[in-house]
Amino acid sequence: MTRHDFLVKWGVYALILLPVWILESYILPRIGALPVRPVLLPLAVIVLAVLEGAVGGAGYGLGVGLFSACVLSAGEHWLVLGLTLAGLGAGLLAQYVLRRDFLGCLVCAALVLAGLDGARILFRLFAGRAGLEAMLRLSGLEILWSLPFLIPVYALFLWAFQRVPKGTHF
Amino acid sequence: MKDFLRDNGLLILIAAVLLTLIVAVASAITGGTADPLTDLAGIITTPIRNGVNAVTNWSQERYDAAFRQDQLQADYEDLKLKYADLEKQLREAERDSEENERLRALLGLAQKRRDLELESATVTAHGSSNWDSTLTISKGSAAGIEAGDCVVDQYGNLVGIIDEVGVNWSEIMTVVDSDLEMGGLIARTDDAAILEGQFDLMGQGKLKLSYLPENSELMAGDQILTSGLSGVYPSGLVVGHVEEVLTEASGMTRYAVVVPETALADLKQVFVIKSFDIVE
Repeated sequence: MTRHDFLVKWGVYALILLPVWILESYILPRIGALPVRPVLLPLAVIVLAVLEGAVGGAGYGLGVGLFSACVLSAGEHWLVLGLTLAGLGAGLLAQYVLRRDFLGCLVCAALVLAGLDGARILFRLFAGRAGLEAMLRLSGLEILWSLPFLIPVYALFLWAFQRVPKGTHF
Repeated sequence: MKDFLRDNGLLILIAAVLLTLIVAVASAITGGTADPLTDLAGIITTPIRNGVNAVTNWSQERYDAAFRQDQLQADYEDLKLKYADLEKQLREAERDSEENERLRALLGLAQKRRDLELESATVTAHGSSNWDSTLTISKGSAAGIEAGDCVVDQYGNLVGIIDEVGVNWSEIMTVVDSDLEMGGLIARTDDAAILEGQFDLMGQGKLKLSYLPENSELMAGDQILTSGLSGVYPSGLVVGHVEEVLTEASGMTRYAVVVPETALADLKQVFVIKSFDIVE
């Protein structure tokens, strides 16, 4: 893969994150009927990791994590490392254990969302900021309401994946 | 895993660890001011936020106009009734105010004063996380805003406190955020208590009023204000009203669930109190 191909490919992946970000940050929070706000950016990392593999997933996770930590969730700096590990884990799972399809994505998404919320719960438990039961309830709802959005996110990234140059080497 | 290590995967992991540390340490050093990386991201994304926000606001207004006409009409009729009632109260208040002024002059008492320096700002984003409650606004340190400043809506109801400041953006921790804690005052009885956000109430858009005085006769509907006792926040800002009074799990003390007066989900414009001078 040439440098040009590399730039085109990751440029496209960066661009298609824009509608996902707008949907997560500007459209879904305004829908009062939703009991919680679905999280979509980690789903984007997982889908890409499943399609591109562990290295691509970790790299993309690093970028999205930095974006999330700086733009979306001020204070959640650990998301840089969290989403990198999420991309790495999902990529490895899809490469060696699961299939690189939607079902594999769904399993990885459930695991990663549970892992990220687990980290949040641990931080808050150590800080004594909230009760475990309330946090588990919120986490369950968040995962439940986020997973259906895997369908459009997967479709969007699959569409891009089929059109960009292949190869995962950095 | 061998492929991962061969293809610079380890470098990515090291970069992630280093970036996490850099951002966390920079944030800890700068306190309420945004660290340089977060500030830069905020500066770059602010025009995008403004644009997207304008489009979504416009779409929501069109949607409301098209599909919520009946509800808007009912709201309008309700407001007309409230307006008539308020006009009557205003006439009474004017009479009381004149009488109050005459009596003050007679007794030689100093006039109560309340000077607030306000900075208007547009809400550019509602926090998308379920784990905290935040709003992002279009002004920051360039407009003289500092961390810890109170933010009110157009009716003077407390919206929250500035948590992080960038050059042209700021993040507000809203009144229902689980990290919020400030002095509260029950308007009817003048009793002081503590207003604090609670995780399980945050999702319902409510907060808690705790450390109630033992003999406090709190009732549903009682208005809660900021006490301003610490001098950090101005006194007399309307926070909300009591929804219900409950007993703690220990059975020893009571607390009240407070519903904020401001409509957090619909906020488009807010006012930051940059400085205040209140003489009670």
